[in-house]
Amino acid sequence: MPERRAAALLLALALFAPVQAAGEIPPGVDAKAYLEVATTLLCDCGCHPQSVHACACGRATEMREEIAAALRGGGPGGTPQSAAQVIAAYVARYGEKIRIAPTKRGFNLVAWLGPSIALLTAGLAVSLALRRWRGSGEGEPVPAGVPAELDPAYLQRLRRELGEER
Amino acid sequence: MTTFGHFALLAALIAAAWAATAAFLGAVGATRGLQRSAERSLLCTAGFVACAVFALEWGLLRDDFRLDYVYHYSSHAQPLAYKLGALWGGQSGSLLFWSLILTAMATVMVATNRDKNRALMPAATAVVGLVLTFFLLLVNVIESPFVTGPLRPDGVGLNPQLKNYWMLIHPPCLYLGYVGFTVPFAFAIAALVTRRTGDIWFRTTRRWTMFAWFFLGTGILLGSYWAYVELGWGGYWAWDPVENASLMPWLTGTAFLHSVMIQEKKGMLKIWNMILIILTFCLSIFGTFLTRSGIISSVHAFATSNIGPAFGLFLGLVFFGSLLLLIFRLESLRTEARLESLLSRESSFVFNNLILVGIAGTVLLLTTFPLISVQLTGRKVTMGPPIFNTVNIPWALCLLFLAGVGPLIAWRKASRENLRRNFTVPALSGLWMLLAVLMLDPAGYWEKLRSVFSSGAFDGIKGFYPALTFGIGAFVMGTLGLEFHRGVRARQHQHGESLPVAAGRMMWRNKRRWGGYLVHLGVVVVFAGIAGSSSYQKETVGEITPGQSLAIDGYRLHYLGHEVLVEDDHLGTLARFEVSQDGRPAGTLQAEQRAHVNLVFPVLKEAFQLAKAVPPGPDRRRAALAMYRLIGEMEGRAGREVKTPSTEVAIRSSMNPLRPTRFGEDLYVIPLAVDPETGRASVRVFVNPMVNFIWLGGLILVLGAHLSVLPDAAERKRLRAAMEIEERAVA
Repeated sequence: MPERRAAALLLALALFAPVQAAGEIPPGVDAKAYLEVATTLLCDCGCHPQSVHACACGRATEMREEIAAALRGGGPGGTPQSAAQVIAAYVARYGEKIRIAPTKRGFNLVAWLGPSIALLTAGLAVSLALRRWRGSGEGEPVPAGVPAELDPAYLQRLRRELGEER
Repeated sequence: MTTFGHFALLAALIAAAWAATAAFLGAVGATRGLQRSAERSLLCTAGFVACAVFALEWGLLRDDFRLDYVYHYSSHAQPLAYKLGALWGGQSGSLLFWSLILTAMATVMVATNRDKNRALMPAATAVVGLVLTFFLLLVNVIESPFVTGPLRPDGVGLNPQLKNYWMLIHPPCLYLGYVGFTVPFAFAIAALVTRRTGDIWFRTTRRWTMFAWFFLGTGILLGSYWAYVELGWGGYWAWDPVENASLMPWLTGTAFLHSVMIQEKKGMLKIWNMILIILTFCLSIFGTFLTRSGIISSVHAFATSNIGPAFGLFLGLVFFGSLLLLIFRLESLRTEARLESLLSRESSFVFNNLILVGIAGTVLLLTTFPLISVQLTGRKVTMGPPIFNTVNIPWALCLLFLAGVGPLIAWRKASRENLRRNFTVPALSGLWMLLAVLMLDPAGYWEKLRSVFSSGAFDGIKGFYPALTFGIGAFVMGTLGLEFHRGVRARQHQHGESLPVAAGRMMWRNKRRWGGYLVHLGVVVVFAGIAGSSSYQKETVGEITPGQSLAIDGYRLHYLGHEVLVEDDHLGTLARFEVSQDGRPAGTLQAEQRAHVNLVFPVLKEAFQLAKAVPPGPDRRRAALAMYRLIGEMEGRAGREVKTPSTEVAIRSSMNPLRPTRFGEDLYVIPLAVDPETGRASVRVFVNPMVNFIWLGGLILVLGAHLSVLPDAAERKRLRAAMEIEERAVA
């Protein structure tokens, strides 16, 4: 039995077994810096909100070339720029909205952390409420008029229905 | 026909307004005759709205370009199916379509409740009548589809991206979902108004809720598939505001479907269920508001106008009005039982609800955050996929885990023995899968683990999401498998049935439960597809000429050549590829770059018609190339768009189960640009592993939803019993 179970799991694993990905990096640029910029900036083509790295449109291709050129030193000064400098240049030209997601600073933290904090707080509150109900010694509130003993006819119906369910 | 349409809409508005008024008077105690009159008025409204739809479709079919709507969303060259589908291609048409669906549902509601639910029906009719009145007011006063203009020779036509057969199915599915929640909402409000807050309102509307939930879910999946095959960016979900708008009511609707089970079994969560159905309905309206008002820019906002303030007002009235009513009725919604333990099915449902509503709230906050940010800080920000994924994925994984816990944990209070008996095998299979996925790339995962400590937990943990998804998915499948195995074994033991007979009868006897389990299985498969395709995607971009090849992840694309086409409504450059997979021939693929010529320019229209008249062959090719040159010359100096480009991607799916490592994988070819003269092509190629699991999971979900709404004698009996008890209680 355990062997059969292991075989089933191995089969499932085979079905779920993909291989690792490799990104496309333009030649002659530092891969880490390029990916940092291309995954931080929004492709401003007006299609789905996608990063320059992910978007498949022609504008993204242009932006990727611009980014690679800036990192290689194709900018006005002719000196290679760091990832932070390239991002800062785009933000200066287009504003904060050129970032695919807001920075994790200031008011933006409401968006980054707010939902998880709210959910955790709500989860904690529910757990505490449950503990209090349990700890207060209150039994399940029984609606008025319900007899303490179960009606034999009801029990018989219950057994019949449970039998049907099976 | 235009005048006919106008009058039909006006008559529909009057009938709907009377239905709402008469039903309201009926609800506050006037004569029963008024309620009958309201119901008949709803049926009349349906007839009038159908007449208006007929008038608009007639205009679309007859190319009546005097009608502004027909001019904007149709053209002579538009294929017949898209002329018919243009009904929901634009603003006023889709509002009319919404009204049509709602009147159809109102008709079914009246017909199925003719002899029952007489206490709830007046208020429910009034609510449906009010909603209808609002939509008919919009199409009569603000956004009429029957506005006429000057005589025009041809129309602009539907947006090229909408000319896809999924456009004929996806929006109606979504609308059925959005509109479908109106009936459960109406019955919930009726229950509050009449103080009949027992079982009847949700038992009566269980099928309606399932129907709306099913169509909304199917609509979302179809929309993802449409985006995948048509928009040509290699993905299927981008957290676009309009996508989010459809997801939010689906999430709260899912929460409602679960929590209502607790009310049904234990008489608990009555207030919560009311809140959920109110939220779901309001989010459905909010979805339409977001799609149509243009307050947040979206690639899906194919039609926007000035209906925003009216929608905002209606939404506010419905939301706050419903909440106020709920507050006034809190006394009649007291719970009949209490949760006894954190380790119980009830608790798992409560936490499942918390997360579902939490994710819906998160999506709402993040979708509207650009507006909030501008108002409070004056800065415009973009909310792209990274923030949605970072915030939502951990909670989605918790939800997936609870989908495995729910079916097997005991009601009231789970004992240690219950937990051991039910969760040892699923937990082991989950752990095994998790370890196995980690072992596929131990060095990579070790590096990710180190980055958790070096570059912050936020980014480091993300690398483990796929492995966690597969692990938790295996856990859920383990619980479902265990439940199935036990159920079948019990039947075999009791009745001596064979395995298929025992399995079939077990599922048939409890369709609702097994339908639900199938839905859970579908969700696991969808999650696996999302994890696989988003985490292990491969990509390459290259420029090739006919005769050259491109290789990626065991695939080789040999560029055979290109062809220039002149079709009914576009010019196209088709690129053909021969594909091999792991050294074996795998057929041919063709991808196309299209140019939809703007026929508003007479010179282009004439040239296009001439090109179309040329018989196929070298002359037609020359005519097409001449058209491309003309477009090139006009571009930039015409003052407006000369052509609208669109892309037809090529997809090769590997669905051979004998090759499990490729099963569900797509080779996805996007022609970024194809030179019509030389054929030089710039292509982007993706290998999307497991992406077809998403659609397969969707199919399983559809099967499960169908199974759970099939007629059930036991369910009918329970509804009848609930009605009898309620009648006795009222008496």
